[in-house]
Amino acid sequence: MSRSQLEPERETTTSTPPRTPRWVKVFGIIALVVALLFVISLLAGVRHGPGLHTPSGDAGGYTLPSSVIEGYTPPGGDLGGHG
Amino acid sequence: MIMPPRLRTFVLTAHVTFSLGWIGAVVAYLALVVAAMTSQDAQTLRATWIAMELTGSFAIVPLALTSLLTGLVMSLGTKWGLFRYYWVLISLVLTIVATGVLLEHMQTVSFFAGVAAETDSAHAGTLRGGLPGELLHAGVGLLVLLVIEVLNVSKPRGMTRYGWRKQHEQRTVSQP
Repeated sequence: MSRSQLEPERETTTSTPPRTPRWVKVFGIIALVVALLFVISLLAGVRHGPGLHTPSGDAGGYTLPSSVIEGYTPPGGDLGGHG
Repeated sequence: MIMPPRLRTFVLTAHVTFSLGWIGAVVAYLALVVAAMTSQDAQTLRATWIAMELTGSFAIVPLALTSLLTGLVMSLGTKWGLFRYYWVLISLVLTIVATGVLLEHMQTVSFFAGVAAETDSAHAGTLRGGLPGELLHAGVGLLVLLVIEVLNVSKPRGMTRYGWRKQHEQRTVSQP
């Protein structure tokens, strides 16, 4: 491994702050799009958690074993998850 | 505080080991998910859910936490810093988000593993219903980890305003 991989090079000697690199802007746009898609999916009612892809949101109408219920703390406060 | 070279090499080795181990463990987890999705056997389905919980709890979660911890030590103990370079900052944010989602999602995995441990083959449909979520979480998680890996290997240029200010202050102090 070269020394430059272990220590940063002095990148700038200018008296003004450096501009934000293009790759950082691209990262920001992608992050924004992913966050928006996540929020839209939540608003659209896509289920999240154990109730995912089950019809009633209560783990598919399945009666859960008592030990499972006792040992589980659902993220959304109910067995259907949140969303 | 800047670490001495030997300590830095030790922490860097640990960080690389834990980080790549995290990626490997997620790949193993994905293999279990795919095996469960493609199998028609109810026993295989139950066994894979239990194996997924064990892999998550005893491999993925510890590796994620140690990777995050050693990454913090590496940043704070070297001149890279935590907020001075964009690639370090973005890697930190992505690692924290990935770890948070992992810890939250492990509750769901434990739930299904509990169902798998206590039920018979009549409820295979319930267990099968949770698999698409696993494929999504593990797949996106792997993608995020690979992005972090590329950032850490390539170390793309780009200093934050905070990093520039710190560098400017140090230069001012060293050149009165």
